[in-house]
Amino acid sequence: MKVLYSNITKAIKAKPKIENLCEDLTLIGIEVDEIKSFQGDKIIDFDLTPNRGDCFSVKGLARDYCAFKDKKFSSVTKKSFKGQTKFNKKIKLFAKDACPAYSAVSISNLKLIKKFPNYIKKTLKAAGIQSIHPLVDIVNFVMLESGQPMHVFDQDKIEGDIEVRFAKTKEQIKILGEKNLKLSKDCLVIADEKEPIAFAGISGSLNHSVSKKTQNFLIESAFFRPSIVKGKARRYGFQTDASQRFERGVDFNLHEDALKEALAIIQEIYQVDISNVETIKNKHFPKKKVINISTDDVNLKLGTELKENTIKSILNRLEIKLIKKNKNFLTFEVPSHRFDLSIKEDLIEEVARIVGYDNLPQIKNDPITQHYEKSDYDFINEVKTFMINKGFNEVINYSFLDRQILKNLDIENESISIKNPLNNSLNTLRTSLLPSLATNLEFNINRGQNFLSIFEMGKSFSNDTHTEELNLAGLIYDDEKFKNWNTNQNYDFYYLKGILENLFAEFRIEKIFWKKSQNDLLHPYASADIYIKNKLVGSLGSINPRFIKSLGLNKAFLYFEIKVESLPRNDLGKLIAPSIYPISQRDFSFEIDNKVSYEQIENCIHISSKNFLVGTKIFDVYDGKNIPDGKKKYCI
Amino acid sequence: MDLDALKANLVKDFQEIVSQEELNQLKVKYLGKKGQITELSKNIKNLPSKERPIFGKGIGELRSLCEDLLDSFQEKIELKIINESLEKDRIDVTLPGTFKSQGKLHPLTITTKRITDFFSSKGYLIEDGPEIESDYYNFDALNIPKDHPARDMHDTFYLDNGNLLRTHTSPVQIRSIEKRGAPLKIICPGKVYRSDADKTHTPMFHQIEGLVIDENVNFGHLKNEIMTFIDFFFGPDTKVRFRPSYFPFTEPSAEVDIMDKKSKNWLEIMGCGLVHPNVIDMAGLESKKFSGFAFGMGIERMAKLSYEIEDMRSLFSNDIKFLSQ
Repeated sequence: MKVLYSNITKAIKAKPKIENLCEDLTLIGIEVDEIKSFQGDKIIDFDLTPNRGDCFSVKGLARDYCAFKDKKFSSVTKKSFKGQTKFNKKIKLFAKDACPAYSAVSISNLKLIKKFPNYIKKTLKAAGIQSIHPLVDIVNFVMLESGQPMHVFDQDKIEGDIEVRFAKTKEQIKILGEKNLKLSKDCLVIADEKEPIAFAGISGSLNHSVSKKTQNFLIESAFFRPSIVKGKARRYGFQTDASQRFERGVDFNLHEDALKEALAIIQEIYQVDISNVETIKNKHFPKKKVINISTDDVNLKLGTELKENTIKSILNRLEIKLIKKNKNFLTFEVPSHRFDLSIKEDLIEEVARIVGYDNLPQIKNDPITQHYEKSDYDFINEVKTFMINKGFNEVINYSFLDRQILKNLDIENESISIKNPLNNSLNTLRTSLLPSLATNLEFNINRGQNFLSIFEMGKSFSNDTHTEELNLAGLIYDDEKFKNWNTNQNYDFYYLKGILENLFAEFRIEKIFWKKSQNDLLHPYASADIYIKNKLVGSLGSINPRFIKSLGLNKAFLYFEIKVESLPRNDLGKLIAPSIYPISQRDFSFEIDNKVSYEQIENCIHISSKNFLVGTKIFDVYDGKNIPDGKKKYCI
Repeated sequence: MDLDALKANLVKDFQEIVSQEELNQLKVKYLGKKGQITELSKNIKNLPSKERPIFGKGIGELRSLCEDLLDSFQEKIELKIINESLEKDRIDVTLPGTFKSQGKLHPLTITTKRITDFFSSKGYLIEDGPEIESDYYNFDALNIPKDHPARDMHDTFYLDNGNLLRTHTSPVQIRSIEKRGAPLKIICPGKVYRSDADKTHTPMFHQIEGLVIDENVNFGHLKNEIMTFIDFFFGPDTKVRFRPSYFPFTEPSAEVDIMDKKSKNWLEIMGCGLVHPNVIDMAGLESKKFSGFAFGMGIERMAKLSYEIEDMRSLFSNDIKFLSQ
């Protein structure tokens, strides 16, 4: 909300420096977003929290400021008003609870007798409100000052009487700004005998709005219950100055006084015929809320030792009046402008606000006894630390990406879309971390990197049974022409497999099986699926060459992705004392058929040597000279 | 030759040796089967029995002297050989070592860990929850009913499966109360999502949120926890201010600012407050019995302040030059 500095100083009847004013307002919870110079004055842009509808006006801000500074503040300048003519329409409040009070007045024969005041124009401009018609400008000015939104109709376009009711089935309204809204039955409208003339508390209808040609005017000032206005404008994707105020709550004792204030300004500037102010009020009209609270309640929550009198006088400064007292509690009455106060805690906050949060005590905390558990977060961090020690840099990518990327990789099945994405390149939740890491690779290659070793720990999402799964994925890309002088590391399948074997060993994960991969993202003959016992936990290998181009790359990379949830969390457990005898080693060479796997040979060794075997190590694989076709030699 | 003459020869001989061969020759010369000490010792049988013990002792001493000299010269010669061979092993110590790549944790991971380390040392359990949430956990259970203007403050991403991406880590509070009851002391780091993107906002970011529930928890306890944390994270001279704010799930609510040491501007770092009684009740505890406090901060902002990062988006560009610092 943008407000002129001079309008605030006028309302508080004092001229504190703008920095001090803003500092004080900030300390009572009214945040200042920005201060800008404007026509020899300053505009202060406030960032109001949604609970403080009462501060949505110059007077509201001034009232809170004066309460904090313990200064007198007179909120309403009651204007007496008498109309010359009789208001000749009937007002029918059908939605009795949604709109329990409605005032209206007719105006005609407008004749300017004075220059239209500049302070009104300046105030509106500072607030970013367009000047539309002098009468509209005046009611908008009064809204900015008092907080009461009002609406000006072209009375000649209203057919018959006025009713306040909920929208009928299929009813529509074309609001200011040419938008056509299909109203639902929970939308409150102001209607004439024919159709809605306003979306209550939100916007007038375009067909009934004033123009230069308008001769007769009708001004509405009403109380609409916040719950009725709440969220309605947003539902249709917009907001107005009126809707913002009504949904937060406008002082229910204000609508008539604000209207009279507007009329007083009109009479100052124009020679004009004004009817009496017609006000209809029903028994649903809100009553002031009362809250019971004790001194102990306040002190227990704040850790303070405030006296009853202090609490009483603080609340009194905020117009929260003590109306009853018994030996257990005090009963306070909440003023009509405070919609946010309904329970004890709300009053406690008011006390704290005025005392000043910085003046509240700091109290050492009592220890809490709760069962300690090792959290998964620790495990995740240990895995991350393992990865960096293996040379991988950690990356963090957005969880959403362009659906097309998933489509290109044939992994868009069961993916979850975002209904309201920020843009189309972020419209779908990722089903794998691969596209994210591949994008990182492309980005870094374009910036001159020819080696990359990265990992990410993040979630993948899908519509099947597991909606979200934490995955660990890593990528290695090596296109380095000039390696460090004495390093000759071959980054291949076995390098990556070695890292994962180390990872499983580090976390004491056993019963790992490596099988030819069924993962279509990977090279069909140079990749493996990883099983723990008989559960698939992930895969590793070279990216399938058919995807290299669509990922924007020229060369393959190594990749793995495993499900973190599927990794057992094995504690260290019992440590076993090693055998006191030294290890003895034997080496064997086998010339075998090409199709025999190392796993098969290792299994044979394990079965035949039972308890004596400490471990096996393959130290040479040979299929060159002197080895017949279709055979290979393994030295173990 | 008598004992004294032999001893003088022995000492003299040892003074002149330079190589292993000469040392070996000396060993044969004196201690060998036909060595001079061996030969001389054979004379004992020609001596009168009275003199034999003295002579025997003299021979023994000479033999030990010779053995000691052999040992010490053996050491000297070995050392000399090693020293001579070292020269051939000369290397250029300024050449870089064998390359072993070492990765780095992401700055957000490091920042999160700094924060969680502090709170877990104070007995907080670390909790996490789903990133895809229901309307109920993200809003209703946190006292943000439908149409509440506070929903405006959360530009929510809605999903085609009827759920949403959590806009804050607060749903974890509710899930933890439901799971663990009270007393409770938890800290929940995690990813959150809001439809917002500019220099200071990214559509995905990280929050960390703490919750303490017990009997008689008050605002003073909250202040103490926050002050100790700020002292730890930003250093002991940090100026702090608490100011009233609004969150539907806390009452009273506060925003915490610290003063930037350079610019002297107040910087907002976290929101906090006493847990709203509606939230406690909705999560299945009795607000008459239990009270609590909660606080939450954006990890990007904390990282930004720690590492003086200008553009929040650089945290997600995953430029290796940035990450490997």
